[in-house]
Parts: sequence; C-alpha cells; structure tokens
Amino acid sequence: MRHPSFIARTILVQNNDVEAACRILNRILGREGILEQFRRTRFYEKPYQFRRRINFEKCKAIYNEDMDRRIQFILKKNRKEPFPGCT
Amino acid sequence: MGSFRKILINEYTHNKINLRNISVTTRQCREVDDRKEMYRSLPTMDEGTAGEKAADIDALINQKGDVFPDADTPNRLFKGVAFKELPVFNIRVTPNNTILCLTDAKGSPQLIRSCGSPQLIRSCGIEGFKNTKKGTNIAAQATAISVGIRALEKGVKTVRVRVRGLGPGRMSAIKGLQMSGLDIVSITDSTRVSWNPPRPRKARKL
Repeated sequence: MRHPSFIARTILVQNNDVEAACRILNRILGREGILEQFRRTRFYEKPYQFRRRINFEKCKAIYNEDMDRRIQFILKKNRKEPFPGCT
Repeated sequence: MGSFRKILINEYTHNKINLRNISVTTRQCREVDDRKEMYRSLPTMDEGTAGEKAADIDALINQKGDVFPDADTPNRLFKGVAFKELPVFNIRVTPNNTILCLTDAKGSPQLIRSCGSPQLIRSCGIEGFKNTKKGTNIAAQATAISVGIRALEKGVKTVRVRVRGLGPGRMSAIKGLQMSGLDIVSITDSTRVSWNPPRPRKARKL
C-alpha cells in the first residue's frame, strides 16, 4: 500500500493539544497543495480559466525566482564590495 | 476611495496666528452595485483550515518529529490498546453539514441498540439544527459533544479521529469531541483528492 491509512496524513496528538495537531495537519496539507487541489476540483474549471491560471502561475514563479535571487544577493555576507553601486 | 481634504483652522490668539493642518478622510462608503462585488466583500467562509498559511508552524513541525507516525506506531500502546485496534471517529464535513460516526478499528459501525438508532452516527441535522444552521461550527461542536458523551457511555474512551472534507465543522467537531471527555490519540485527514478526477459539476454562478 502506498498510502496506508492512519499512517499517511496523520498527526499524533501531543499532551491532549488537539488544536495544535489540527494546525500542523492543516499546514502540511496546505503546503503540499492538497487543499488547493480539493478546492479547485470541486467545480469544473473551464479551459479559459485553466489557461489563465497556468499563465498567472508561470508569471508568478518567474517573479518569485527573480525576487528570491535579489533578496539572497542583498543578504549575502562577506562581499568584496559591501555596497554595490554606491561607489 | 475616500476624498482627502485639508481644513485649515485659523486661530487668533493675542495677535498671533497659528495655522493647523487637520486632515479629514471621509468614511469609506462602499457602494455595492454588483453581485460579484458583494460576494467578494463578504467574509470568507471558515473551512476549518486554521493554520493553513501560517509559516510559523513550519519551524514547529521541524522541531518535533514525534508528532508523525512511523512504522512502529500501529503496534504502539495507547492506554493498553494498540494503535491499530483503537476505535475510529469518522467525521464527514461539508459546507452544509457535519456527520460523525463511531466505528471500530475494522471500519464497521459500532452497534448501539438503544434509542432506536442502529449505530452511533449523528449529524447536525439529526441533532436538531435545521437548514443553514447545520453548516455552522457551533452545530458541529454541539453534535460532537453529544456524540462523544454517548460514546463514553458505551465505554469508548480513547479514539482516533478521521476527518474528511472541508467545512466550518472541521476543527470544531474535533474540539467538541475533546470537550466531551474523549481522549483523541491521532487526527487523520482522508479528504478525497484526485489529480486526474472525472469532470466535476459545473461551477456555481454567483
């Protein structure tokens, strides 16, 4: 079995703290995109909606990648030139 | 958008002129002329997915690895019963209702021959909540408390919880079970999600 029940998507409750366990479970489901897929497949997505969504996601991924690179550049330590562009 | 005005107030006090700037923003009177706009302005429905986008939980998850089950978990003892032998509380959550059903470890409903009901299965509708009131977190919690007390009367103290679906009752039903005095060992999500589903029904027109 690939996803045995009560092993997959399961959180053990610690110290009777149910809410924390729920939050962890929800966070993991949200991070893995399971909730997103569930919400999206409740109703049929028309082809134009699909196209628009895919295009938007592509643009967003490109933007995020570039922004991450910029942030990493700014956060970089031990640069030879500490303030690039400010000479 | 509120208009932005500046009022200048002149104060004459003993040949001195004090100028004060007071900025006044008009109240944002939103004119809802479109139905879509109206739906957008409504508060989003609680789906019981608190913490879905909370990034601060990530560190917490990495910290404690013991919240996740492993290969030995099915045989681990909880109050003298193996994890795999524990009875299961199945909670079916929809936007309009919450149904709770107690089953044994194999999945067959535990038989209760009292009150004329064949098994321990209760929904918010059975519990006395009607129409839109069924799909609220309060209804889910009340139902969970009453069903939990019935389970305790039957002698079930330690349970696993399996939740399916999203809705307002998702978290509050689990909370209600805990409030009724049941000892919840684990929470499992079994929402049916497919990445190549059959064609779903057409989208709602709002």
